[in-house]
Amino acid sequence: MTKEKQKLFDQKVVEQLGTKKERWHEETLKGKVGDKKYYTESGIPIDILYSPSDIKDLDYQKDIGFPGEAPYTRGVYPNMYRGRLFTVRQLAGFGAPEDCNQRIKYLLDNGATGVNIVFDLPTVRGYNSDDPEAEGNVGACGVAIDSLEDMETLFNSIPIDEISSSVVTHMPSTTVVLLAMYMVMAEKRGIALEKLSGTNQNDFLMETVVGSAPEILPPKASFRLQCDAIEYASKHLPRWNPVSYNGYNLREAGTSAVQEVAVGIANAIATAEELISRGNSVDDFAKRMSFFWDLCNDFFEEIAKCRASRIVFQEVMRDRFQAKNPNSQMMRFHVQTSGITLTAVEPLNNIARSSIQGLAAILGGAQSLHIDSYDEAYSAPTEEAALVSLRTQQILQGETNVVNTVDPLAGSYYVESLTREMAQRIREYIEEIERKGGLVAVTESGWLHREISNFAYKQQKAIENGEQKIVGVNHFPAEKKKAAEIEVFRYPETAVRQTEKLARLRKKRDQAKLDKALGNLREKCLSDENIMPYVKEAVLALATLGEIEEIFREEFGLWQFPLA
Amino acid sequence: MSRPIKVVMAKLGLDIHWRGAVAVSRMLRDEGMEVVYLGNQFPEQIVNAAVQEGADVVGLSTLGGNHNSLGPKVVELLRKKGLEDILVLMGGVIPSEDIPALKEKGIAAVFGPESKIVDIASFIRGKVS
Amino acid sequence: MVALGRALKEVENQTPLGYEIIKHTVTKKGNAHVVGVTGPPGVGKSTLTGKLCRFWADMGLSVGVICVDPTSPFKGGALLGDRIRMQELAKLPNVFIKSLATRGNVGGIAASTGDIVQVMDAFGKDIIIVETVGVGQVEFEVMDVADTVVLVTVPGLGDAIQTLKAGIMEVAAVYVVNQADRPGADESVSDLQMMIEETASTWKPSVLKTVAIDNDGTEQLLDEVERHKEYLQETCLWVGNRRERNIKQLFKVIQNSFKQQLNEYIETNGELQKLVSQVGEGKLDPHSAAEDILADLIRKTPLGGN
Repeated sequence: MTKEKQKLFDQKVVEQLGTKKERWHEETLKGKVGDKKYYTESGIPIDILYSPSDIKDLDYQKDIGFPGEAPYTRGVYPNMYRGRLFTVRQLAGFGAPEDCNQRIKYLLDNGATGVNIVFDLPTVRGYNSDDPEAEGNVGACGVAIDSLEDMETLFNSIPIDEISSSVVTHMPSTTVVLLAMYMVMAEKRGIALEKLSGTNQNDFLMETVVGSAPEILPPKASFRLQCDAIEYASKHLPRWNPVSYNGYNLREAGTSAVQEVAVGIANAIATAEELISRGNSVDDFAKRMSFFWDLCNDFFEEIAKCRASRIVFQEVMRDRFQAKNPNSQMMRFHVQTSGITLTAVEPLNNIARSSIQGLAAILGGAQSLHIDSYDEAYSAPTEEAALVSLRTQQILQGETNVVNTVDPLAGSYYVESLTREMAQRIREYIEEIERKGGLVAVTESGWLHREISNFAYKQQKAIENGEQKIVGVNHFPAEKKKAAEIEVFRYPETAVRQTEKLARLRKKRDQAKLDKALGNLREKCLSDENIMPYVKEAVLALATLGEIEEIFREEFGLWQFPLA
Repeated sequence: MSRPIKVVMAKLGLDIHWRGAVAVSRMLRDEGMEVVYLGNQFPEQIVNAAVQEGADVVGLSTLGGNHNSLGPKVVELLRKKGLEDILVLMGGVIPSEDIPALKEKGIAAVFGPESKIVDIASFIRGKVS
Repeated sequence: MVALGRALKEVENQTPLGYEIIKHTVTKKGNAHVVGVTGPPGVGKSTLTGKLCRFWADMGLSVGVICVDPTSPFKGGALLGDRIRMQELAKLPNVFIKSLATRGNVGGIAASTGDIVQVMDAFGKDIIIVETVGVGQVEFEVMDVADTVVLVTVPGLGDAIQTLKAGIMEVAAVYVVNQADRPGADESVSDLQMMIEETASTWKPSVLKTVAIDNDGTEQLLDEVERHKEYLQETCLWVGNRRERNIKQLFKVIQNSFKQQLNEYIETNGELQKLVSQVGEGKLDPHSAAEDILADLIRKTPLGGN
């Protein structure tokens, strides 16, 4: 890798241009700009003008390359959107499984090409709909799943062997159970596991950093479950992405674009190290590691972030892990436009925000995209709002022509300069995490929580003193302080219906079979074995999600955020 | 008020987003208040903490939809213990149409996503004396 | 619990009702064992406090925990983050947790801590654990409220231990090297043991190794704390130390109160204010001014001359 650089620009010409730029600064520009300094959201200084001298060392082949080839800056597939449009994957998830099933069918009928399911809080945090902890949260913000039967209802009449399902399980403890249910459901329908295509989030940071909860598993235990699911899928689910390293939620909790990507890649590093130590080879599992990025307001920074993330990941997989299969070096990511940048006041403004963010995601080369609905700041989307988002994607894909050439911003002096700068900062942050013992260690110590808390605090102060402008809030503030009256969707009877179902389920189960399965599962928690087969067994015996999670809590113990 | 105001701040129930609750806690500290951050708790524990800590204010943060069921429960439990003088506030994402009913049940104010800390602090100072 | 909560609120805020409560409860004290847990920041004081509390609570004892965090010098607010680390304990009916801010006090605890301990004792607590803020060199006020002081450190804080020698060696009853799974633990233990050899007291503190998050070594810590209590009671130091602490507290209150009243008096007295400004402008030296101010004060009080 120390070959001589083949510089793109004639160095003499570029140097002259550098001098000319200085002249321009002194003569033409002088007096027309004040002293104010400008920065990207993550703190990278922005010059008023970029020109060839800012990227004078650029080596096209090494630094940018062609799409579908290392370093993948321009995209992981050679044909990008001409080959396959980004999957329009809108979120669905609310109420009871039968309600959500209807919404999925609606979206598929209206042109969505994939399914993206979110679950309610009790399900995500491992409680049944009739547990006391679930009160007030059943069916709100996601669909309630308590058992295998609920999973079957959710996907009733949906061809899971033909579509791609993103099952947003958030955290490893939920992932192992819901993935097990998905697999058992497929097996019962006679569908071979090899046919299943989809993604799980499965990120231990979701369990231990991003989301707070009254009962949390220790980081080491959550990380173990994360690796168990990935290892199992690498052996049995060839078309399944068992992990989607979640930069989105981390970013929304309070980090910069640099931290978002660095932490995501640090998680991939930790996973790879663990799975290799278990005897797997990197090319067995790395090709199915995927990522999930946020898309916030700093248009060019976000595009540069997407490009930089591909560069750094490729380097890490190639150099650190000696991955041989090109697929192991390709970073594929889903993007969701940012929720925290949306406002509750003047919600229609959010259509503009998320459209611009969606455009940036496309220019950044995302593999799939979710555009937030304009009411997403305060509600699970109404049907009308969900449709606008879907149409926005279709407009971007079909009307703008943006998708018909690959990585159009390559060569831009600003974007290339920013891409390089971000890649460097990402590498440095990863090194810092490694120096402190790796991602699991910095989670246990609370260091990562403090980074987030500090960033969020600074950002909040910047908003309150007007430094960070938000239209409608502190920049051209809305005259009427109250939000427009938007119909808010409620799913009131979910808890009642689920409780009834649970009562029936408990009666019909084969208790002996269940007890045996749960007993095995409990035993295996403290062993080194991969937990997935035992979870499948329990799920098949109609164990509820809450029962399985309670075993995890009891055997692995509980942990709390070491928050400063 | 010559002595610092004591606030107990909790994430309500299973609600996962802690960014706002922690930022507000830190900023209320900057406003001179003493804030006990509880993390995720259910109503009984929140009230116990308010009792033990001698709270003047209880802040409940939620974005997940449990505000109608769990919020008023906190007020009710405080009243049962004879502590109706404790101010109960809610923050996070709460639909505006739910606010009148919450206020009727004893929630003193609801601070939505675009609230400013100076407003929250002055509201508190106005009510606690 | 509600009554204790209300009472402590008054005491914490030093209200007139608070003083009444203190007055009333001073003779109602039981014989609570007051255990102080102190040490530099980040060593695991909260975790160890939690483990000890758990042991005692499981035995059916009534436990009070006081956690102190620093007040921000900026505007006088504070973020009290110890309670969240004791979630599971807070659920137990026989555990009462009170978080306090230092409110400008520099000794590692809050000024009201001693009074809070007294009231908790009067309300029937068997054990009261006082967890101090992370302390530096000279902040050992915890010894003024506790029967048994536990000093916690971690491996690799060699220099910090040397500076600790300045005050705490005479005071700590038990030493703990926490996070003992880290390298350097044994060295830290022997360093402490050497320093202990040099002290003259009849109680020879033990140096324990713990890994608090794994609950490793915590039972031994419990035993040591109990052993110290027995020692105090057998040697009558239990009562003797308390007597000393009570009197020390008396003089501290006198001094604080005196200082406050003195400042108020000077601020509201025109003549004396003139002297103060002259010193401020460098026209008069502080010693002469002080002499005059004190002379004036003594003349005006019954303590003064005839």
